[in-house]
Amino acid sequence: MEHALVVWLRHTAVSSLVTGSPWVWPVLETLHFVGLSLLIGTIGAFDLRLLGMAKGLPPKPLSRLIPWGVAGFALNVVTGVLFFVGEPANYVNNIAFYCKMAFVALAGINVLVFYLTVARRVDELGPGDDAPWGAKLVAATSLLLWIGIMAAGRLLTFYHDHGLGQI
Amino acid sequence: MEYLVWLEATGLSTWLRESVSLLAFPLVLVLHTVGMGFVAGTNAAIDLRILGVASGVPLKPMERFFPVMWTAFAVNAVSGVLLLTAYPAKALTNPLFYLKLLLIGLAVGTARLLRQRVFRDPDLDHGLVSKRGRVLAGVSLLLWAAVITAGRFLAYTYTYLRAEDMLAGK
Repeated sequence: MEHALVVWLRHTAVSSLVTGSPWVWPVLETLHFVGLSLLIGTIGAFDLRLLGMAKGLPPKPLSRLIPWGVAGFALNVVTGVLFFVGEPANYVNNIAFYCKMAFVALAGINVLVFYLTVARRVDELGPGDDAPWGAKLVAATSLLLWIGIMAAGRLLTFYHDHGLGQI
Repeated sequence: MEYLVWLEATGLSTWLRESVSLLAFPLVLVLHTVGMGFVAGTNAAIDLRILGVASGVPLKPMERFFPVMWTAFAVNAVSGVLLLTAYPAKALTNPLFYLKLLLIGLAVGTARLLRQRVFRDPDLDHGLVSKRGRVLAGVSLLLWAAVITAGRFLAYTYTYLRAEDMLAGK
């Protein structure tokens, strides 16, 4: 039996728009990949600096690149929602999708932990300064989660019909 | 065309394509995607800084991120060859594939030029990057976006998925 959410979403105008032309989906995917690159390039560079790479960079000014990563993330939320609305049946029963969303939630909590604990001390670091171990832990967690998010996202297509059962 | 049929029949190609293991085709795709994020993303971070974003960041130490880019590039060269090995006809009969290779060549050339012209400039960090450097950074951003676009559209524009489809005239 089809999930009620799937049926409802498939009848929306947005869903028809996403699946109506064969070129909408690849364009959205391209934007999703550009967004992930911006995110990995800026947030990943910040994480790598905290872990000790390119230590000559002071973290505070480097964090000015992060809004571009956040913009990439916003682009990916929008395109991601459009994928979901376009082909909900591919996601509602897909274990890789739920893993990806769980990783995204953990990445959000990780950002929160960063701002609540070590962010102020990181802001005070100058060129060449070693980040505190707590900041390194947050940075390593961030890198691993974003890599996990990319992996789960890429594996989604292999799990279209394998999942948690009806939800 | 014979070499496509031959390549497709090799053990490696068959395993990559037909194995149900996540370590076959899926892992190669994951590596290619994660590598893309680090190649295009690291380039974008450096390009954005050259264009004036986060201008408080000293440029010289950012040079340390080039090895990240080249490591990820190596991952993508290897995973790309494996994707090609799995479905040689799919890519090699699609003109877009050759455009993608050309765009990668141009993007890599631009990254090398940036390193030589901007990062080797003795006046680096004494004010704005030269106009030439900023133009190169803008070109680099556009080229990596174009590489991503070409790569993604490869999945939607092929004529033959398998060399055996070509033989059958499908």
